[in-house]
Amino acid sequence: MDKLIIDGIETTPDPNKTVLEVARELGIHIPTLCYHKSLTPYGACRICVVETIWKGRSRLHTACTYPAWEGEVKTNSEKVIRLRKSILALMLAEAPEAEEIKELAAEYGVEKTRFRPRKEKRNKKCIMCGLCVRVCHDVMGFGAIGFENRGYRREVTPPFETYSDVCTTCGACAFVCPTGAIDLKALSDKKVRPILSEFDRNLASRPCVHIPFPQAVPNIPVIDKEHCVYFKTGGCRVCETVCGPQAVDYQQKDQIVEEDVGAVVVATGFDTLPLADLGEYGYGKYPDVIDGLAFERLLSASGPTSGEVKRPSDGKVPKEVVFVQCAGSRDPEKYCPHCSKICCMYTAKHALLYKHRVHDGQPYIFYIDVRTGGKSYEEFYHRVSEQEGVPYIRGKVSKVFPDGDKLMVWGVDTLTAKKVEIAADLVVLATAMVPSQDSQKLFSILKLATDKDGFLSEAHPKLRPVESIISGFFLAGSAQGPRDIPETVAQASGAASKVIGLFSQEKLHHEPIVAVVDEDLCSGCKVCISVCPYDAREFDEEKGIVKVNELLCEGCGACVVACPSGATQQKNLTDDQIRQMVKAVLGE
Amino acid sequence: MFEPKIICFVCKWCTYAGADLAGTSRLTYSPNGVNIRFMCSSRLDPEHILWAFDRGADGVFVGGCHPGDCHYQDGNYKTLRRIELFQRVLKQFGLEDGRLRLEWISAAEGKRFAELMNEFAQQIRALGPLKLGSRKGGQDGGSAKREKED
Amino acid sequence: MKKIKSIEQLERFRKEILKTRETKKQCIIIFGGTCGRSRGSEDILDAVRAEIKNQGLEERVEVRGPGCVGFCEVEPVVVLKPQEIYYPRVKTDDIPRIVAETLVEGKILDELLFSDPVSGKRCVSGDEIPFYQKQQRNLLSHHGEIEPTSIDDYIAIGGYSALVKVLSSISPVEIIDIIKKSGLRGRGGGGFPTGIKWESCRKAEGDIKYVLCNADEGDPGAYMDRSLLEGNPHSILEGMIIGAYAIGAHEGYIYVRQEYPLACEHFILALDQARDYGLLGKNILGSRFNFDVQVNRGGGAFVCGESTALMASIEGKPGEPRAKHVHTVEKGLWERPSCLNNVETWANVPLIINRGWSWYSQIGTEKSKGTKIFSLVGKVQNTGLVEVPMGITLREVIYDIGGGIRDGKKFKAVQTGGPSGGVIPEKLLHLPVDFESLTEAGSMMGSGGMIVMDEDNCMVDIAKYFINFLKDESCGKCTPCREGLVQMHAVLEDITEGKGKEEDIEFLEDLAWTISNGSLCQLGATASNPVLSTLKYFKKEYEAHIKDRRCPAGVCKALIRYWIDEKECTGCGVCFKQCPEDAIAGKLKKPHKIDESKCIKCGICYDVCKFDAVVLE
Repeated sequence: MDKLIIDGIETTPDPNKTVLEVARELGIHIPTLCYHKSLTPYGACRICVVETIWKGRSRLHTACTYPAWEGEVKTNSEKVIRLRKSILALMLAEAPEAEEIKELAAEYGVEKTRFRPRKEKRNKKCIMCGLCVRVCHDVMGFGAIGFENRGYRREVTPPFETYSDVCTTCGACAFVCPTGAIDLKALSDKKVRPILSEFDRNLASRPCVHIPFPQAVPNIPVIDKEHCVYFKTGGCRVCETVCGPQAVDYQQKDQIVEEDVGAVVVATGFDTLPLADLGEYGYGKYPDVIDGLAFERLLSASGPTSGEVKRPSDGKVPKEVVFVQCAGSRDPEKYCPHCSKICCMYTAKHALLYKHRVHDGQPYIFYIDVRTGGKSYEEFYHRVSEQEGVPYIRGKVSKVFPDGDKLMVWGVDTLTAKKVEIAADLVVLATAMVPSQDSQKLFSILKLATDKDGFLSEAHPKLRPVESIISGFFLAGSAQGPRDIPETVAQASGAASKVIGLFSQEKLHHEPIVAVVDEDLCSGCKVCISVCPYDAREFDEEKGIVKVNELLCEGCGACVVACPSGATQQKNLTDDQIRQMVKAVLGE
Repeated sequence: MFEPKIICFVCKWCTYAGADLAGTSRLTYSPNGVNIRFMCSSRLDPEHILWAFDRGADGVFVGGCHPGDCHYQDGNYKTLRRIELFQRVLKQFGLEDGRLRLEWISAAEGKRFAELMNEFAQQIRALGPLKLGSRKGGQDGGSAKREKED
Repeated sequence: MKKIKSIEQLERFRKEILKTRETKKQCIIIFGGTCGRSRGSEDILDAVRAEIKNQGLEERVEVRGPGCVGFCEVEPVVVLKPQEIYYPRVKTDDIPRIVAETLVEGKILDELLFSDPVSGKRCVSGDEIPFYQKQQRNLLSHHGEIEPTSIDDYIAIGGYSALVKVLSSISPVEIIDIIKKSGLRGRGGGGFPTGIKWESCRKAEGDIKYVLCNADEGDPGAYMDRSLLEGNPHSILEGMIIGAYAIGAHEGYIYVRQEYPLACEHFILALDQARDYGLLGKNILGSRFNFDVQVNRGGGAFVCGESTALMASIEGKPGEPRAKHVHTVEKGLWERPSCLNNVETWANVPLIINRGWSWYSQIGTEKSKGTKIFSLVGKVQNTGLVEVPMGITLREVIYDIGGGIRDGKKFKAVQTGGPSGGVIPEKLLHLPVDFESLTEAGSMMGSGGMIVMDEDNCMVDIAKYFINFLKDESCGKCTPCREGLVQMHAVLEDITEGKGKEEDIEFLEDLAWTISNGSLCQLGATASNPVLSTLKYFKKEYEAHIKDRRCPAGVCKALIRYWIDEKECTGCGVCFKQCPEDAIAGKLKKPHKIDESKCIKCGICYDVCKFDAVVLE
């Protein structure tokens, strides 16, 4: 059989594939600019040029378009390098501001171009690879941008250089652009709305297909149906074409999964108080008033700023940061009466990390009390307040409002009874923990009791803290009340052990209080069948009476009351026993 | 001062648990009521109420889960219907309004349980002792037939 | 007219037409393609008609207004038959005399005859004119015999007989065999053997196949396709029908320039007529073969003459070429097998079928068969369309047919193959005109443009002109062509403006390599030819521009200066008056002087000076 040899590696020719595809499968790198897996090969940038040798004839072809026919291919021969260098030099003149081209050129040792800059060209980053135009038309199905003019006068623009209604500012053009030459704002007058990353607390954008957060289980991407162009117009489907294992399935739908289970651990977690609720702090109104979770992302090395503390509004490093504890917590008049428990410690941590990141930065912490109930917590607080000298101001913040590019924070120091005014660059609120959104709906389906703040009630606050009052339901984490990570882990472990304990029993305990029928008295009227919520009653055709399935009977006793002939009683809670109880209470 | 006797028929899942919480929470409340625990408030037969009044109770308190929260799906609705009807019967028997009271108390509402206990005790205290013609100083009367069966 | 439903019916019909025409013994022909019309042929036609009517000659004399005569230089041309008297450069005033004296009395008007600029000899008939003598007009021969708007005319001269022959007695495979044996090669420039192309297309997988006609003639100075479309549209259509029959296609497209209104008009009319006659459409001549052609008009992009760009344009996409490693005969228009041939190629097909492949293969050289039409333009005496057998030498074309260089100037070079072609210097004039020789010389056959240049042409300027054209016409898809040509043009501009650097020549050669090897399509791959071929043969001119800051041909304005030779100047003041910039000063009768700071080098003073006192350096 004939062979295809790429850089000395023998492989099987496949005319349905291109040289580029086969080379990539073999791990051979060929640079590309105008190539995208979900688009028809275009062959415009010519950077993927390779030397093909067939029957002794050497020619230069673009790998992205050339079929993987038999013969020999050299991806790095002298000719190839010469041509790539020359093309890169031309691109440097064409797009002098494209950093990516400079980098690629530098890889090939082209530092300076011998060509003169293209002065009349409007877009100094565009290399006319056409990816944007093609993705908009061929993939997204819009055709909101195109090339105007021909040859060297070419520019990418909406039709007639006016804003086009067709454009949805989906951003596919900007996304595929290899040189960052697309400015969506220049292409459309529609507001560009990036999809904000929930995990990054809206401080960064995320793609439509995304892994919700780094430790998500299962750790696989999901499609954001609300923003996905395919679900809106039927276009795009890029994720499908780039997915090697063909794992993308647009047919998937939300579905109801039915499982028979022996126990349920409810761990629905928490949310922070909705931002609209915290008006006096300007939360949700001023971009530089953020919550602790957002600040946590700003500090994170994998966060939107790669760990550099930059404020959201203008990306400036904040020099004065006000931390407000109990933002919404311990405030029975306006917000939540409960203590959110974790804020004292994380605010101390934030202030410390902030000081370490921004050496000339000044944090301030407003507090009501500092609660350090936990191992070594108190010591940590002392380290922050005394060793690091972070000023703790005892008092509440009354108002936050913008003042120039600063945020004016008004508060009171109750220890000195003086008004405090701080012109801050950033305000971080330790917002209250509340039960997670929609958890109430779930709790009511599960018939789980909650307390007045909406947290789950345990069966016994001291003795049965991980169980609900309903057998088989166990509680873990902040769904039950504000708690920090160690506590949550401990409680979750406890709940898990309880489940294991339940499952390890040979027999399940059943309440001995079940309904029983006096067959002599039963008239077979079947009223009891209609009141039983558990289908625990069956009519015995033969005897003309109703029987009780004791396994199904949960012992509510509704049938006893409903029985007109007094044939039904509850074992261990007969009417007589009740009468005796009444008697006992009232004395005789 | 008159201290009324109150029987509280409460369900295991909500009101009894609420009472338990009131206890573990060390709440102080009126000791007049004594709980009789049912699995569900729907176990309560109106006859049980009659017995209580007949035996000398001055007030009967019925506690169930909040609507929609019933452990047995809809037991508390049955209770609601029964109590509503039975209130009218009691009126015909000559009992004052307010001697029988139905309340929903969840397992988390220990405080509410305590408050209601205080409130109901005060309510009965205001009504005074229950006077029934058939009552003979604590002797059984109303349901002599059943008494014999005991 | 009722549909012709069978081959027999067509033959009967042909005889009928011929019979009706027997009565007219005489014929007066007024040639008028677009070029003739622009010189007033329509007025002449009207005048002739009026005069014939005046004189009551309508019964006896046929007035015919066919397409282009080919000899552009002397248009408008009137020919009288049967005497074959050829009157060039006719004016409307001449018509009464021509009708009264030549037509009626048979007298040849000597002063109106063509006078050969070389020998001074007067020629009565066209055959005597040297311009026509060395030509072999196979494709153009019928231009005088038919009105292009009349299908009957075409049928009368034996039109559609090739189609009849094919449908009645030749199988598609045999047709392809005939075309292969004839040695016909694509006339669009590539020179790919037509028979092999047809065969591949026939063998390609696919139910739907297309035949396409490339009439997007974009080369500056080339107009043979236009002339064919205007003068004999049915011959092209007949070729396409035969091709479709051979390939197994039922749909055809012709992609024609919008800038050729007359060609479009004539071809569309031809299509309508052919449909009416049942020569196009369903069940052609009762053969059960279906075929129809649609007309697509190009928007004037040069690149749309490239096969894949042309197909993209028909598909409604921007006219951009795509990679065609898989040939268009397999995946062309709408990814289906498509056979694209040039106008001239299609026009050759009926000829080959009618006269046989052996006749055709006798014409031309070993590898290049048949005749080729060239548009001979530039600094030759006789410009026009020239149909010559392949293998004729360039010298024969330029000197024998073209009559040599005008105004006694010296020949410098001939540019062939359109903008992507190259220049061929005098020392290579012995070269035979065929695909291989021209390519070897660094130029190409192209579609057949032939631009003759004399000593007044600056070769750097010529290269700059073509690169400028190509840079404007590059579609802009691929980087080397789009960007490379801009850079190349900038360097050429520098050189012509006297800012050239020594390394520029090497720079140009290197850039040319990049453009040739890196470009996506043939437009880019051949775009450097003007530079490469001028560098190859006229490097000295480049060097003169760069090193000596001198333009030997006196074209590049920045490198020339005008001055007045005081000895020769009589102070007549003509130059003084004509100078648009008031750059000439001086008193009457005294020698004038040119103020070089004001001079824009327009050359008017040089032209107007009667005493050769203005000197160009």
